[in-house]
Amino acid sequence: MNTVFFKSLTLTVMLATSMTALADHSSEGPDHDAMSGMQHSDHNHGHEHKHQHQDSAHEGHEGHDHGSMNMAANITQTDEVAAALAAGGAPVVVDVLGVVCDFCATAMNKIFGKRDEVAAVYVDLDKKTLSLVIGEGETLSDKQIEKLAKKAGYRIAAIRRDSEALGG
Amino acid sequence: METSNRASSAALLHYTPAYNYSIGARYEWMRGADIRMHAIQPTYLAKRWFGKEYQANLYLTGGIGRAEGKLDQVSTTETASFAGIMADWETRSLFASYEIRAADLGKLGNQTMHAARIGWAPYEGDTGDLHTWLMLEIDRREHLSRATTVTPLIRFFQGPALLEVGYNLSDSKPLINFTYRF
Repeated sequence: MNTVFFKSLTLTVMLATSMTALADHSSEGPDHDAMSGMQHSDHNHGHEHKHQHQDSAHEGHEGHDHGSMNMAANITQTDEVAAALAAGGAPVVVDVLGVVCDFCATAMNKIFGKRDEVAAVYVDLDKKTLSLVIGEGETLSDKQIEKLAKKAGYRIAAIRRDSEALGG
Repeated sequence: METSNRASSAALLHYTPAYNYSIGARYEWMRGADIRMHAIQPTYLAKRWFGKEYQANLYLTGGIGRAEGKLDQVSTTETASFAGIMADWETRSLFASYEIRAADLGKLGNQTMHAARIGWAPYEGDTGDLHTWLMLEIDRREHLSRATTVTPLIRFFQGPALLEVGYNLSDSKPLINFTYRF
């Protein structure tokens, strides 16, 4: 490879390094794994979000700063979601980080839609949420949801279930 | 994925076993020098940054294969390799990216390409809507006589399909990119 190539590559690596350094100082940080670092200290809008870990599906669910998301968006009511709820499914709303385009939505729909426990799934780009309806008699723990979101390439910030997911 | 710009036309068919890497077969016709390259192309998502309102990514890519062209009017086949880095940042309505790719085509020469883009979405479409982006790309290809050029383009994006249509103002050539995710 010629000198131009190496000069160009060096320039790119430098740019990439600068970008990494910038991102390292952001409140979101690049080194978050599924749930660590989800403190969102810069996103605390003073919203008191009372999240009660009241069902067994929350087993292993730790480390969320549920007070930091001020959206508290309700489940998005599509026909599929409404039908699954009417059939006795349990509503879950997941606040997702980094969902900015339809490709993101497609990836999440694909991963969650494959699960037998999931009766309905919808990614709402406006609300930046993943709406799930867990089939009657089925469970999907927060940990499993985190894992599936990570598999799709995304991170979650909060999970609301049942009446919280319905806005009650 | 199909791309066609002022310098080349290419097709990439790739399989993504996990969200952070893919492996694909690439065919590229570098029209100016009439070089045809076939290569295996892996791509790796080295880093993704998440925010409530944004996403940023750093991709590494490369490839190895064969390049066919003419050297002093004699057909020749050379081992070809290339490496590239791409970084992007986007929100629902703003986009910026930078890409560099360098190719070693043996006796057929070396090529380096830089491309930077900025984009703006005039409206924020929801899931399944038609998303529209207005973008401006500045590219630099040192092996071409007109090294730096500007291409305004429009990106249409709906569900699994993405179409970009643009026109290179400096070289008076069209840009057409199409991506479909199965």
